[in-house]
Amino acid sequence: MASVTLEHVKKVYDKNVVAVHDFNLQIKDKEFVVFVGPSGCGKSTTLRMVAGLEDISDGILKIGDRVVNDVEPKDRDIAMVFQNYALYPHISVYENMAFSLRLRKMDKEEIHRRVCQAAEILGITEYLGRKPKALSGGQRQRVAIGRAIVRDPAVFLMDEPLSNLDAKLRNQMRAEIILLRKRVDTTFIYVTHDQTEAMTLGDRIVVMKDGYIQQVGTPQEVFDTPVNLFVAGFIGSPQMNFLKAKLIQSGNGYSVELLGTTIPLNPDQNQALAAKGVKTQEIILGVRPEHTTVLFDNKENAIECTINVNEMMGSELHLHLSSQNKDKIIVRLPTVDLSKEQRAQLSYGNKMYITFPAKVMHLFDPTSEKNLIYG
Amino acid sequence: MSEKKQIPEVDIVVDHEAGVIREVKPEHLRSKSGHEKRINGSIYAVLILISIIWLAPFVFLVFQSFRSYATESGAMVAYLLPKQWSLDNYVWLLTDPSSKFLRWYGNTLIVAIFCAVLQTFMVLSVSYTLSRLRFRGRKLIMNVVLVLGMFPGFLTMITLYFLLKQLGLTQSGAVPGMILIYVASSGMGYYISKGFFDTIPKSLDESARIDGATRLQVFRMIIMPLAKPIVIYTVLMAFMAPWGDYVFASYIAFGSEPNYNVAVGLYQWVNVADYQGFFTRFCAGGVLVAMPITALFLALQKYYVEGVTGGAVKG
Repeated sequence: MASVTLEHVKKVYDKNVVAVHDFNLQIKDKEFVVFVGPSGCGKSTTLRMVAGLEDISDGILKIGDRVVNDVEPKDRDIAMVFQNYALYPHISVYENMAFSLRLRKMDKEEIHRRVCQAAEILGITEYLGRKPKALSGGQRQRVAIGRAIVRDPAVFLMDEPLSNLDAKLRNQMRAEIILLRKRVDTTFIYVTHDQTEAMTLGDRIVVMKDGYIQQVGTPQEVFDTPVNLFVAGFIGSPQMNFLKAKLIQSGNGYSVELLGTTIPLNPDQNQALAAKGVKTQEIILGVRPEHTTVLFDNKENAIECTINVNEMMGSELHLHLSSQNKDKIIVRLPTVDLSKEQRAQLSYGNKMYITFPAKVMHLFDPTSEKNLIYG
Repeated sequence: MSEKKQIPEVDIVVDHEAGVIREVKPEHLRSKSGHEKRINGSIYAVLILISIIWLAPFVFLVFQSFRSYATESGAMVAYLLPKQWSLDNYVWLLTDPSSKFLRWYGNTLIVAIFCAVLQTFMVLSVSYTLSRLRFRGRKLIMNVVLVLGMFPGFLTMITLYFLLKQLGLTQSGAVPGMILIYVASSGMGYYISKGFFDTIPKSLDESARIDGATRLQVFRMIIMPLAKPIVIYTVLMAFMAPWGDYVFASYIAFGSEPNYNVAVGLYQWVNVADYQGFFTRFCAGGVLVAMPITALFLALQKYYVEGVTGGAVKG
């Protein structure tokens, strides 16, 4: 159990390729932090620096109060789960899990107790005698996790542990990791490119892109108040819709002009914008697919769209729409309240109308790509 | 009731051009056409011919070695099958006081065993290092070594001889001298085993290091057990090269009979010694030399093939 502190940590490869720029983060004891971002954003590199598998080019890394920049991985009191499991193929599951304890010259009975306990937690007791080859992907991943928990490490690192599993198993294992976290109760750093994993697992999410931290916050914060276009687009599925619009200042208030409609902002939004001294300007308006209301008949301030694609997801529909000036908009529409006639109307080429309240709107500056209120 | 699985005796084939469905005998039931048979036949004929040419000298050698030294001459003769079979030649090689065969055999064995151990250690260390560690000049070293390896070793013969002479490792010191020469540059043969190590996922090393192993422990406890085929391949190669070497051995031990290896010694018999008298003994010696290598190969060929083809280990 320990905190992890990264101060101005930087990773530069040969030929001056910078993988991670000035990474600053304080991870509290027993916190579950998720690094999320597209591939090549530096999230795995950062994790590997914490593990000691990559040298730190610059900056300070502390585990607990100890600076560990030059400490060997084995002396950092960490455990890591790899994407490809990295089980030792030539020894049994039991020996895989006991490996680190044996290296530590731990008492035989204690080893046995710990391995059995971990196996019990993960439900792999019956496979202890098998070789990794004889296990399925999900079972292998359990063994990999078991190998980490027998050590009772100060920090638990996971590098895309679910990426090699099929969709169903991934959901199941995700839930199990949440349970596991309750039982193990230590500091977790988890790397993924999957925003769903990030949202469901993390106490805090670190969104990364091109070696820079974009935003750090709780899943709710990152979802509700994305600081820039990238975070807004990356978190949430389907992706947030981005529309060209205009922000108009008139007196003390602001309103957004979009496709011939004008939507006045809320008082707190007005206040925030005024405090930042924002003037009338072009903006990119972000609206999440789940925050739009779909109307079958026109209404004041509704935006007229044409249906391009209707994706049936079961409990809801994903409608891909295009506005009059060809903006692409995706909306989510729960199916439960739809009448037969309404369903029939939701087909290619038909007209629909959408509205959304001011409070769900995210306003981004087109050049800096920053959120005008939170950025 | 046991039901026999029916293998269909016809395949259904849709002939789109004619617009009909045809029943065709499946591949394994179709009788081979005459054309196919002829091609197969000629391939086998060529292969048989090649193996006869290839095996003939060895068969000849074995026959000659069993010819009776007492009743027939020890020289070359114009017939293949011995008139009288006997173990005369072998007995003489192994027991006669004037035969230095055992001494030579011993020399060779010592050199080969030392080489097998030391060279394997060198090759595996070098190739593991080149496969796993990243350091400045790694690529350069690999390329330079690769290019150097294309020059025949004999180019260095004269230099090496004088170097060894300075160290007192020629003639009477020939055995340690030979070991030194074979082992010294053996790391250059890293190529195949590096390729093999490259197929073992790096995350295994990393995982073990996080689990608390030192680099050496990773190598010993994780990599070595997985690299069994390549270890065996390397041992075999390291054993065989000095076992059959003539050129280096002949000049390092030049003129010092007790320090010959078996190849040089046997050659001296048919060359300088009594050629006519020693031919069958030479053959018997050849058979004895071939035996351990053949046995090793037969026992380990499964691993050998795995080692050469590499990539047989899945992570």
